[in-house]
Amino acid sequence: MIRILKLYKIFIVQHLKKLMEYRVDFLTGAGSFFITQITNIVFISIIFNQIPSLNGYLYNEIIFIYGFSLLPKGFDHLFTDNLWIVGWYVVRKGDFDRYLTRPISPLFHTIVETIQFDALGEIAMGLILVIYSSIKLALHFTFINIVLLIIAIIFGALIFTAIKIACAALAFWIKQSGSILQIFYCTSDFARYPITIYNKVIRGIITYIIPFAFTAYYPANYILRNGKPLYCIGGVVLMSIILLSLSLIIWHKGINAYESAGS
Amino acid sequence: MIKVQNVSKEFKKVVKESGLKGSVKSLFSRKYDIVKAVNDISFTVAKGEILGFIGANGAGKSTTIKMLTGILTPTKGEIEINGQIPYKNRKKYVREIGVVFGQRTQLWWDLPLTETFTVLKEIYQVDDARFKKQMDFFNEVLELKDFVKSPVRTLSLGQRMRADLAASMLHSPKVLFLDEPTIGLDVVVKSNIREAITKINQEEQTTIILTTHDLKDIETLCKRIIMIDKGTLIYDGSLLDMKNKFGKFREINLSLQNNSDINMLRFKEDLNLNSDDFQIKSNKEKITVIFNSQKIGVSDMLSYILTHTNIADISVNDVNIEEIVRRMYK
Ligand SMILES: Nc1ncnc2c1ncn2[C@@H]1O[C@H](COP(=O)(O)OP(=O)(O)OP(=O)(O)O)[C@@H](O)[C@H]1O
Ligand SMILES: [Mg+2]
Repeated sequence: MIRILKLYKIFIVQHLKKLMEYRVDFLTGAGSFFITQITNIVFISIIFNQIPSLNGYLYNEIIFIYGFSLLPKGFDHLFTDNLWIVGWYVVRKGDFDRYLTRPISPLFHTIVETIQFDALGEIAMGLILVIYSSIKLALHFTFINIVLLIIAIIFGALIFTAIKIACAALAFWIKQSGSILQIFYCTSDFARYPITIYNKVIRGIITYIIPFAFTAYYPANYILRNGKPLYCIGGVVLMSIILLSLSLIIWHKGINAYESAGS
Repeated sequence: MIKVQNVSKEFKKVVKESGLKGSVKSLFSRKYDIVKAVNDISFTVAKGEILGFIGANGAGKSTTIKMLTGILTPTKGEIEINGQIPYKNRKKYVREIGVVFGQRTQLWWDLPLTETFTVLKEIYQVDDARFKKQMDFFNEVLELKDFVKSPVRTLSLGQRMRADLAASMLHSPKVLFLDEPTIGLDVVVKSNIREAITKINQEEQTTIILTTHDLKDIETLCKRIIMIDKGTLIYDGSLLDMKNKFGKFREINLSLQNNSDINMLRFKEDLNLNSDDFQIKSNKEKITVIFNSQKIGVSDMLSYILTHTNIADISVNDVNIEEIVRRMYK
């Protein structure tokens, strides 16, 4: 464990140095993210100027769900961004070779190599929105509420990670799975809104198949609608464990199917 | 120490039909071509041996190395190294090996070399004393000092290769796999690298398997070579034997005034040569005759050709052992 932290430290320090070098890049990354989010919020506000509530959800409740959805997504983004390049080109170009010749888990090795500080923008935005809407809604949080929400964020992030691992691993067979990963990742956008606005099919998909609803809507419902913690929070934990196990199986099978590349 | 038994590796290649229609079609029904990159290879290597793999481009050398290092899973056959199966107990197995691919670095692109070694020290859990000893050794034989502060991406090819070599040996592996460790290097760096390889082999009894297209590498480093052609092992033995067997072959290149004269060359009948002792290859203008100069001298061969044909141009060329062995086995 200490070894893992040491490795992480070296890579993070190195990453920070690089960011100093390319400061502009970091600023534009975080900046463009804020702009996108603000546009989204403005969009929601405009809609709510016409209709004061959506399927029984008030404006500020929607903001709460929206803000909360950014937290698991942001933490996953912060730590596991390297999975994207595995899907896009590391496998296809045969560069995955080097992860296989080191005595640490290739998955862990891939993941520690980058920390995506752009994600801090996502996390900050999420926190701002959650806090703002909580104040507006005059929500009271007990200690247990907060602990359970933190658990939901951690395991929610793992749902994202699991889906990314599984999609990235497809590249071991089909060489390039970046676009598949993109499609799956984008379905998480559905989960930023109360899922009651969707029809049964979509609701079923984002609850049980690609369970992004558990990364935002259900944990938020636990607070907003007094949802049962066993379902709202326990569901996140259960879903993430199931998905993570499945994705690890796919990943390991993928490594055995890995064909490298002629050089 | 290394046991390889009847190992084959096949790659599936998707056959793409041309045009947009073809691409759409291949989305739904994929046709595969099977490429046999390595075909039923067996050999063993003893501890402390340096073994050289040679063979033409695309022969299957890198694929073999990738199976030995656990990167690829063989389609058929068994590999056992240090009592372990590379692709099964990968994490444990790779602790005892070092790998260099001349074509692409194994190092982290943005990390300065010093940091790279720190990371590797953590990964392989090398203790401080050992680490210092190794670094001193590398500085001595590979002269890393001049560029240890630079990020890997800024290194020249020769510097990068030395860095890769050092990185592969930091944890004192029992077996070292070097796939074209001298590719693209100048004469001085090449000889530096050969020296380093020799030293490692002598001081630590490291078993080394390398591939190369440079026969000088083979001559200075390996007593034993394995030659692969189109995935098949065609020679396994000492370099000396190979030279005795094939080193006496000579090559004559000629062009004729009248191409049909080629039928006048009847080595079997007129010169009593066995079919292993010569080969004639012709394409439009050029004819190549390869023959064993122990069976028939170069001057006899020349005069035979000159008396039986009308020559436009003729030259006797240096032998490329690799090339000759390949042709003789076809
Ligand atoms: N990842 C891959 N997918 C499909 N075919 C491959 C792959 N890697 C190698 N091949 C094929 O396998 C054969 C052997 O390739 P390999 O790279 O082992 O040759 P090599 O002996 O190392 O050649 P070189 O001297 O050019 O490096 C070639 O025909 C090559 O096209
Ligand atoms: Mg090769």
